Amino acid sequence: MTAAAAPVTPVTPRTDAPDVPAADIVTIPDGLPGFERCRRFVVMSSPELEPLARVEGLDDERPSFLALDPRLALPDYDTVLSPADRQRLAVDDHDALLWLAIVRLEDTRLVVNLRAPIVINPRLMIGRQIVPADSPYSTHHELPMD
Amino acid sequence: MRVFTRKRNEAIVIGDGIEVRVLRVGRDGVRLGIVAPTEVAVHRGEIYAAVCAANRSAASTSAVEATGLVERVRAHLPSSSAALAPRGA
Repeated sequence: MTAAAAPVTPVTPRTDAPDVPAADIVTIPDGLPGFERCRRFVVMSSPELEPLARVEGLDDERPSFLALDPRLALPDYDTVLSPADRQRLAVDDHDALLWLAIVRLEDTRLVVNLRAPIVINPRLMIGRQIVPADSPYSTHHELPMD
Repeated sequence: MRVFTRKRNEAIVIGDGIEVRVLRVGRDGVRLGIVAPTEVAVHRGEIYAAVCAANRSAASTSAVEATGLVERVRAHLPSSSAALAPRGA
């Protein structure tokens, strides 16, 4: 008499982000410097973080970042996409791009990387952290606080 | 690491379509010209390292702690992104 074989439990494939609709996923084909293996991200906003947004990685280490439009940190912020970056993001003249500068905590200050913002083409949901060859902006811009 | 001796105007070719050429050798530095396909990003090493370090630091920022500080910077930022005109390409 042999015991019945244990029923095979169907293995549910681990979904990376069960609650993120595919249409909300931004693909960053090269990843971000330091996180090259994370290619898919979702940008989320919440009232307590406003006007900052949260950029959540869905792959690998799943890095999570706070970010804000660099023009909120510096109203006259002006960085131009290089022709190569325009091509990588398949930008056409009608595209309104989403610019997000990554924010970090250093000691007790919020510091923004204005040197290398993430630029997203919402029409195609692709993005890239651009690192312009020359830029007047710093990777270390402190946000003023009271 | 591969090491080469190159004179002015001599180049190194890497893989398919990447060329590094010595344009000028001066006392304070060497001027290099890089030709690479558009899908290959070319950065100054120290800038790329600074961006990596900033990203690593940003990813380890505590959301709870940062949220507390957002309260304190909000008053100093333009009120909302609605005030920003969409940025064209």
